[in-house]
Amino acid sequence: MRFTQSLAPALLVLAGVVQATSWGFDDGSVSVVAKRAGDAGSKERFTSKTLATKPISLGSTDTLKISLTAKDNGSGKRPHQAFVILKEKETGLEAPFPLTVKENGKAVTSITHKDLPVQFLITDEPLEASIVLGSFGSSKALDAPVFDVKLQKDPNVPLPSYEKPVRYGKKEEIHHIFRADPQSPPKVISIVFALAVLATIPVLFISWAFLGANLNHLSKAIGAAPVSHATFFGSLLAMEGVFFLYYTTWNLFQALPVIGAVAVVTVLSGTKALGEVQSRRLAGER
Amino acid sequence: MLRSTSPLLSLFAFLLVWGAALVSAVSTTGNRLLAVFDDVGEKENYSKFLGDLEGRGFQISYETPKSESLALFHLGERAYDHVIFFPTKTKGLGPNLTPQILVNFLNANGNILHTLSSTTTTPNTLISLLAELDITLPTERTGLVVDHFSYDTLSAAETHDVLALPPPVPVRNDISPLFSADAPAGQLLAFPHGVGAVLGPREQLTPILRAPKTAYSYNPKEQSEVLEANELFAAGQQLSLVTAFQAINSARFVLLGSAEMLQDKWFLAEVAAPGGKSVKTFNREFAKRVSAWAFQELGVLRVNWIEHHLNEVSAVNESNPHIYRVKNDVTYTISLSEYAYDKWTSFSLPANDVLQLEFSMLSPFHRLPLSLDKAHSSPEASAYTASFKLPDQHGIFNFKVNYKRPFFTNIEEKNTVSVRHMAHDEWPRSFVISGAWPWIAGIGATVSGWVVFVALWMYSAPTDKKVGSKKTN
Repeated sequence: MRFTQSLAPALLVLAGVVQATSWGFDDGSVSVVAKRAGDAGSKERFTSKTLATKPISLGSTDTLKISLTAKDNGSGKRPHQAFVILKEKETGLEAPFPLTVKENGKAVTSITHKDLPVQFLITDEPLEASIVLGSFGSSKALDAPVFDVKLQKDPNVPLPSYEKPVRYGKKEEIHHIFRADPQSPPKVISIVFALAVLATIPVLFISWAFLGANLNHLSKAIGAAPVSHATFFGSLLAMEGVFFLYYTTWNLFQALPVIGAVAVVTVLSGTKALGEVQSRRLAGER
Repeated sequence: MLRSTSPLLSLFAFLLVWGAALVSAVSTTGNRLLAVFDDVGEKENYSKFLGDLEGRGFQISYETPKSESLALFHLGERAYDHVIFFPTKTKGLGPNLTPQILVNFLNANGNILHTLSSTTTTPNTLISLLAELDITLPTERTGLVVDHFSYDTLSAAETHDVLALPPPVPVRNDISPLFSADAPAGQLLAFPHGVGAVLGPREQLTPILRAPKTAYSYNPKEQSEVLEANELFAAGQQLSLVTAFQAINSARFVLLGSAEMLQDKWFLAEVAAPGGKSVKTFNREFAKRVSAWAFQELGVLRVNWIEHHLNEVSAVNESNPHIYRVKNDVTYTISLSEYAYDKWTSFSLPANDVLQLEFSMLSPFHRLPLSLDKAHSSPEASAYTASFKLPDQHGIFNFKVNYKRPFFTNIEEKNTVSVRHMAHDEWPRSFVISGAWPWIAGIGATVSGWVVFVALWMYSAPTDKKVGSKKTN
């Protein structure tokens, strides 16, 4: 491929100098014939050495007519190969369109949107048309770019659907998008509300004290039932301690037996201690 | 997962490999090669090509399609590992080589190299087989590729039917240049009297050698004078001159458009493109590479081992655990080797290609490139690794390496692991969550209030103070 590309300009230069004969063409012309009558199509002339200046635009209902006279060393002759090759510059995709050639070298072909591969129709790039003439024998073949074609798409006609064929190759990378971590409100707000909650403790205690709360019966109670009162109140504190350990380090199965043990102590000592409290009430001291 | 094989099997494999190594270098899938000729005497034309194959350790059996004893299968097992078909003049290949049998041969991991020639009509059997593979040959089963720009001026100055082409470049830049790598500069490939094929849009098909832009195919019997505009079969790069097909099971089929390019004549010949010097042909080396690829000596990949583990500080360093937790950091490593004629070598990715790891449950959650891990690579194997964080989704996942590329053995490796969700004691404690502080303070207030209330209830003496409205009887 690369080989022929580099060779083609060389061929043009060398033609007629080194070799005796070479293929060429005269009367090259390209015209766009619109389907609607009365719409005179544009007509451009080209030769193997000069490109048509501006791209030729081809509407979806138009026909592109290309005609030329193939010549072998100046005289009209029919070559075995007479192609117009349309090439999409981006992908390099090429589509050959053979010309119908008469004995005297007169060659014509017409191309419409229907004849083009679907890949051409979905691209916006202009197509590069080149003429290839060649035949058996020693005459040098010709490969000359001649004009560009710009496809005009009808906005009312939907583009043909085209799915790229599956090819083995690397695929797009995928990086999992993780869910956002749970958010906490600003620390200041948390601290303010935590302090507000803690502030209720002294408020509670002070209001109790204001209502006359006291511990005046403590000595009396301890004197009446020292062991049960100490144990009962201690077991209540121990229960809170167990809950604290459960929160920080213990698991449920470590906590449950200890809770059970402390609860038994609470019940046994509680009957005595609360009995003492009842006796004070019955005695009219509460 | 490391493949465990029984000791007996590995001993057997070792003996097999050892025995094969004694003979010579050999293909990875066996060395029984069947060469099918119309007339076995024709093999003289290909003596260098066949000699090269024998030199690489193949045991070649020669048969004709007419032979009664010819059978690709014996008692349900393949009787040959590879088959090479040379052009035959018969219309079909007979009852021993039906398209069905050839497809079964491919399905049983057999490899086929088929050669065509424009001087003989391609057998119907072959056309049917090629239709299965989505390869189309010219109608009338006869075609000849000519190019009036790059023909050999020494042997085909008039007919232009011996193409002189540079060594083939891969069709895409991420495909391994197996067939053109290290080709001597300036050498040309002679492609005499060849047939071009048109390939369907199948991912298993890859052209090894495409025709140049100006080449075209015509029927020399009917279109030698005039090629009607509407009768053109195909032209330019749409014509595949040498085609590779690799099935899902990595069995290989090569369609070589010109049998003559394997002949001794073209191994030794010199060719000259128009306007160029005459140079030696690249055919012998090309024939070696094409046959080596077809017969599993080139582009064969092997997975040696796969390993994955937790990649976290203070984690238990266990290989290939069956369970991970969501958002664990893990490392995955796969070791690959590539076979080159007679030995396993390290596998290096083609330029622009990537080996990718998918972590998938139904669909991939991650698709990440694996990079070369030099620490675990050796001259015989190269390790590729990737480290990543597992997705925050529990379930049954696969580590999946799906490396299917033109000219390489298909690799599809799946390792299944469970990904569990967080256990209740793996979350951050409430005291480090600032939003929980008011609630913790609330518990503290309740506890202290309760303890003091109990003490007051039990030990408080009544006072005379009257507060609010006291109930009176």
